[in-house]
Amino acid sequence: MLALLPQLLLTGITIGSIYALIALGFVLIYGVTGILNFAQGEFSMLGALVCATLLAWHLPLATAALISVAATCVLGALTERLAVEPAFGAHPLTLIIITFGVSMALRGLALMLWGADPYALPEFTPGPPLVLLGGVLVRQAVWAIGLSVAVVGALFTFFVRTVPGAAVRACADNAFACRLVGISPRRVSLAAFTLSAALGAVAGIVITPITGATYDMGLGLGLKGFVAAVIGGLGNAPAAVVGGYLVGIIESLATGYLVPGYAGAITFLVLLAVLFLQREGVLHGAQRRRA
Amino acid sequence: MTRRGAGLALLACGIAGLPFLASSAYLLTVFNIIGLSTIVTLGLILLGSSGQVSLGQAAFYGLGAYGSALLSRDLGWSPWATIAIATAATAGVAYLVGVPTLRLAEHFFVLATLGFGIIVNVLMVQLVDVTGGASGLRDIPGLRIAGVSLAADRAFYYLVWGLALAALLLAQNITSHRTGRALRAILGSEVGAAALGVEVSRYKMQVFVASAAYAALAGGLYAHYIRFISPSPFSLYASLFFLIMAVVGGLTNIWGGLFGAALITILDQVIRAQVPRVFPRVGGEYQTAIYGILLVLIMIFFPSGIVRGALDLGRLLRPVGPEPAKGGSA
Repeated sequence: MLALLPQLLLTGITIGSIYALIALGFVLIYGVTGILNFAQGEFSMLGALVCATLLAWHLPLATAALISVAATCVLGALTERLAVEPAFGAHPLTLIIITFGVSMALRGLALMLWGADPYALPEFTPGPPLVLLGGVLVRQAVWAIGLSVAVVGALFTFFVRTVPGAAVRACADNAFACRLVGISPRRVSLAAFTLSAALGAVAGIVITPITGATYDMGLGLGLKGFVAAVIGGLGNAPAAVVGGYLVGIIESLATGYLVPGYAGAITFLVLLAVLFLQREGVLHGAQRRRA
Repeated sequence: MTRRGAGLALLACGIAGLPFLASSAYLLTVFNIIGLSTIVTLGLILLGSSGQVSLGQAAFYGLGAYGSALLSRDLGWSPWATIAIATAATAGVAYLVGVPTLRLAEHFFVLATLGFGIIVNVLMVQLVDVTGGASGLRDIPGLRIAGVSLAADRAFYYLVWGLALAALLLAQNITSHRTGRALRAILGSEVGAAALGVEVSRYKMQVFVASAAYAALAGGLYAHYIRFISPSPFSLYASLFFLIMAVVGGLTNIWGGLFGAALITILDQVIRAQVPRVFPRVGGEYQTAIYGILLVLIMIFFPSGIVRGALDLGRLLRPVGPEPAKGGSA
């Protein structure tokens, strides 16, 4: 039993780094707009599928990945402008249902465009897997973990060191005061959706060489990332990243030590437990209203 | 007789006469599915009247179906009794789920019901010894009255629509009296309602348990009508489908439940028949694209439902020129 542990932990950290990126996207949008964006996972799906298609058109992998992230950014911005912005100030439930609608629409459109067959991407750097602490780590997993750490680091630098980053943080803190000093919450909201789409796309592209990409991968990834964000309290970006790794490890351990089919249920059992236990933090976040 | 009573009587007559106008087995099956969906949607609308949305409704629907199917099939009890028992048991489950979750702020309650729904669906697939797993349960006994089988589409039609009308009447009674006023106060402001002496958590719990019971009743009827159940009609996707029905009709509008269930079920049949002609390659749940866009458009333009939205639109247009209110999209 214990011999399996290093392997399960490595797998959990790999998938956890993907969940961390998606969770960060959730936190970004929730912090700025108070909206739970259920379409977050679909950004990963689109990033992965667009990248696979561009690769099939004989573009180099790096170019394909960059174009695909950019395309997903445009889609994130369109989502904000076409679906979320028109309902600005509506009841929070209305906005949640809208993001559910966007998620369903994107999934259905992806099925029409790409079909139900899985797509693959090559490993970024092919080669034999590495052996680490008695577990096996495919090279792509190193990319996943490394890229997620790099992106998270870059994002924190952006928020802490730059003026636009400070504007986003200010908006999450107090949208009304932001308007008083000339920061437009609507523009920040647009930026948040665009940036979250980029995070989602990176996560989707990086994980595809390991898991493959299908039109319906967004639902699972989005929900897991979402659980990670809730574990972190939804308003707290570093905690969401930790939540991502936790969900990955819990899922991996559950798959290894329990019947694999139950792993999906375990994640949501954790979600329920966290929601019950974390009432204070959860309520505090929920009561924040946009100005 | 009040206007409302007259409307209900008219509706009952229309429903009673419908099978004589459209008697093909296919149409009757569609009507029966509409009836079942109406019952589930009414539950969601009751819940919506208190400002809550649930994404676990398909799980309650499934608990009613599996509960009644297992009790009647394996213990040989009468399906009438098992539907009642399964409905009561599911209401009990909803109570247990509600104790911790109803205290959560609205969108965290949505999440909790979503998580609950996924867990129940995973259990349906994984507990193979009990539920038959992904391949489902067969040979579920049908409903009978005094030795006469209700398995035929037409007989079942009158049963399900009788119950749907009763459910409608009950929901209307709940929302138009004291409880309804309390629910509207809660919808407006929970803090405000509490300040006026409304027991917020008690009322929220009551409608949540009632909504689960509605779904479970429909689920029990479904199991003994189709006589075969598998986990897929009780997935997250089904919960979203019920939510769309409720949203189309207006999340707080009882009559809208009937309208939404009918419109979306018919739309689903049309889409299933027509889309493959346009996109022959496409299989699976492509219709989600259409429902997704529909959901976004309704929530942006008619957040209180198509019926209310069309009425408001008609009222808005009246000074300019009389415009017949149509249930159109924007």
